[in-house]
Amino acid sequence: MRLSLDAVEREIGRLWEEEARRSKAARVELLTLVALVNEPGLFDRAVNVVAQVARVQPSRTMVVVWKDGAAPTITADAALHQPPAGGAPCGDAITIEAIGAAREWLPQNIDRLILSDLPVCLWWVGDLPDFDDLFDRAVLSADLVVVNSGEMDLRDIEKLSSIAGHSRGRYALADLTWIRLRPLQELVARFFDDPGCTRCARSVDRVTIEFSPREGELDVASTQAGLLFGWMAHALSLGAGSVEWRRGPTWGEVTLGKVVARFEHRPRRDVLPGAILRVAIECGGATASPSRFEIERQDDPQVFKWSREVAGAPTPPQTLRVGEHDEAALLIRCLGRPKADPLLEASLAAATRIIRPIAPRLSVSPASR
Amino acid sequence: MTTDNPFRAGLETERTPASCVFVIFGASGDLAKRKLFPALYNLAVSRLLPPGTSILGFATSERSDEQFRAMMREAVAQFSRRKPIDDAVWDDFASRLHYMAGKFEDPANFGRLREKLEELDRRNGTRGNRLYYLAIPPSSFRVVNDNLAAAGLVAAGNDATKYTRIIVEKPFGRDLASGDALNHDLHRVFDERQIFRIDHYLGKETVQNIVALRFGNAIFEPLWNRNHVDHIQITVAEDIGVEGRGKFYEEAGAMRDIVQNHLLQLLMVIAMEPPVAFTADEVRDEKVKVLRALKPIRGEAIDRAVVRAQYAAGSFAGKPVPGYRQEPNVNPASTVETFVGMRMEIDNWRFAGVPIYARAGKRLTKRITEISVHFKHVPHALLAQGGPVEPDVLAIRIQPDEGIGLRFVAKVPGPSMTLRPVTMDFRYGSTFGGSGPEAYERLILDAMLGDPTLFARADEVSAAWQFITPVLERWANSGVHDLPTYPAGTWGPREATDLVERDGRAWRRL
Repeated sequence: MRLSLDAVEREIGRLWEEEARRSKAARVELLTLVALVNEPGLFDRAVNVVAQVARVQPSRTMVVVWKDGAAPTITADAALHQPPAGGAPCGDAITIEAIGAAREWLPQNIDRLILSDLPVCLWWVGDLPDFDDLFDRAVLSADLVVVNSGEMDLRDIEKLSSIAGHSRGRYALADLTWIRLRPLQELVARFFDDPGCTRCARSVDRVTIEFSPREGELDVASTQAGLLFGWMAHALSLGAGSVEWRRGPTWGEVTLGKVVARFEHRPRRDVLPGAILRVAIECGGATASPSRFEIERQDDPQVFKWSREVAGAPTPPQTLRVGEHDEAALLIRCLGRPKADPLLEASLAAATRIIRPIAPRLSVSPASR
Repeated sequence: MTTDNPFRAGLETERTPASCVFVIFGASGDLAKRKLFPALYNLAVSRLLPPGTSILGFATSERSDEQFRAMMREAVAQFSRRKPIDDAVWDDFASRLHYMAGKFEDPANFGRLREKLEELDRRNGTRGNRLYYLAIPPSSFRVVNDNLAAAGLVAAGNDATKYTRIIVEKPFGRDLASGDALNHDLHRVFDERQIFRIDHYLGKETVQNIVALRFGNAIFEPLWNRNHVDHIQITVAEDIGVEGRGKFYEEAGAMRDIVQNHLLQLLMVIAMEPPVAFTADEVRDEKVKVLRALKPIRGEAIDRAVVRAQYAAGSFAGKPVPGYRQEPNVNPASTVETFVGMRMEIDNWRFAGVPIYARAGKRLTKRITEISVHFKHVPHALLAQGGPVEPDVLAIRIQPDEGIGLRFVAKVPGPSMTLRPVTMDFRYGSTFGGSGPEAYERLILDAMLGDPTLFARADEVSAAWQFITPVLERWANSGVHDLPTYPAGTWGPREATDLVERDGRAWRRL
């Protein structure tokens, strides 16, 4: 049933009243989650993801899509999110469709359906265009803006860095790919937790990151690999000086002061495009006792082997499962802490400095391509 | 671990524990199987067990490492909150499990223990870090303690990177004298900062959320005092009986098993003053002040303020169940209480004159742990058509269905000003979804990190016994042969109802 936008609140109220009579369900909502779907083909995926999110974070969700068409109109559907195993509904499920020029009217119409006094999360589904007035206007109502750099090109890291920079505290930027990287960051950090190993972090010589490329990948690194190394470079305060690249068809090597980082394609079908397969860090090469740290994805794509070889600090290797993080799980984790993440912003900035020579942002410096 | 690790800055886990050998005394017992190993496995699944950490089970029965691993796999499969077992994680976890058989009384076994620990240190880089867990009867604490010390297995260190710590399970004694004696025994070998007395209630998310509710919101704290609170009720009710633990229960009773620890912990958290910081000493300083401010109940006042009773035969879930005295391993003439009801008062500026009614027992109507704060009536019954206006109640549900409910009155739609109590409910489960870590996971990790905030301090235990012991002594000397009874499956004896009704109040309907 398509509704006009001014009928949506009434319809939601009616559905809750009906539900209260039936099951005495209490209405609990923690936020408004707005999914702006950049390509109509991603609409069903977005609807499915927000339904999963609402089961964990009861919310009003709005999945918004736009299509070409002559007569500009906006219509909506309204329902309640129902948990699969029955029980009380867990939020309001609104879908909105704008036709033609009505896309321009979306921001104010989304605003009128936002729940009072609760945080607003804006999830941009799909690739982020270089310039999009809709995005710029929609973020004005948001407390948290979620993107997925994994669906973008390497050069878009600079765009994200600039979005984070321009937010000026009005909203926080979150990146699903960054959330996906967190367990790997933990595994890298645990290399150096032991006091006998902490010193090695000051003598890193070489970092190798292997990743599974997208089909026909032209970039030497996936955004995930770039972001991971951006984080490492930030942690180690690298990259303030010169950045020198060498590259081949399926690899790239960047020198930042005394540290060399190598990115390598290693195609693998059972992981998401861009996924990290191996991270190796070598330290103290010039000393008598060099150290080596490695995380490697195993045959089971969710399992990693973690190993550390440091003289005087024996550690048996560990086998660790890094849970399956689908889009919904990542979004739920973003919503759990809807605050600015200074580490993401710093890592984006560091990655931007490193990557710019090989993947300049189109809209900033097209001439340098 | 507080480290200079540059990669830790800004990550969610800013502190990680240093690797250690985790030694469990009583490793084949019920607690180890039901709680400790599932908790350790879950920490491994969550990637929170530090690399190199190994777990050494120490118990009396002979078995090999392999047999021990197989036994623990079965236990984890049965009791872990994560099912089924993840084979990849289990294989890694199992490779860290080791076993040693021996009697705790034999010092030679502790020499062997030292050798084993040193071997594990060499292999895994645990560098002498030890976390001992006493999952054994209190009667064995002393001998284990002394033998650990004699074997040189207790180093003085307790910082983030080099430590020896001990986790002790309740009961922390039987009364003030034995509680203090236990503390004395522990202090002969361990510094207080090395001792972690576990009360798993404090590891429950909902108990920690009482602190969040009180000190993370501006609206409650101004009302949290004698000017606005009429009384407080605390209920720790179990619907099961002694479940084959008759022998243990005959030594404990509801007062020692629940009131002295879990129930008083809840009271401390609900009544403490805001600490200056959420750090171990500041929090525990405020908690112990509550116990010290409890108005002592002595002499004949005990008979008026404390009710004890035993469950008689009744029914549970539609089936007949025996009375306490008919349970296996229970003395047929037992005078051990399975129910305690109490009226307490806190003599301090905030709560003077506010009664606290507490009840704890087995074989009650349902399993529920709840604290309810009952606010005063409105000062003037402006809208009291058709009877007095019900006062507001804030109910904090610890288990099951963890959550917070606020009861207040609202106008019933219609031409007359009729008021009716309504409830605003917040449930952790439906709001945040999923299940959080088990209390033991949180507490074991905290002990590895050296954070004692959620553990009981010696003076806290002592103050709790100081309050309870006069009651226990009066009961022991009463010469009573039969306690009041209540039918299994009810809310306790008539005397418990009287305890509250005497003050013109009633137990909250749960």
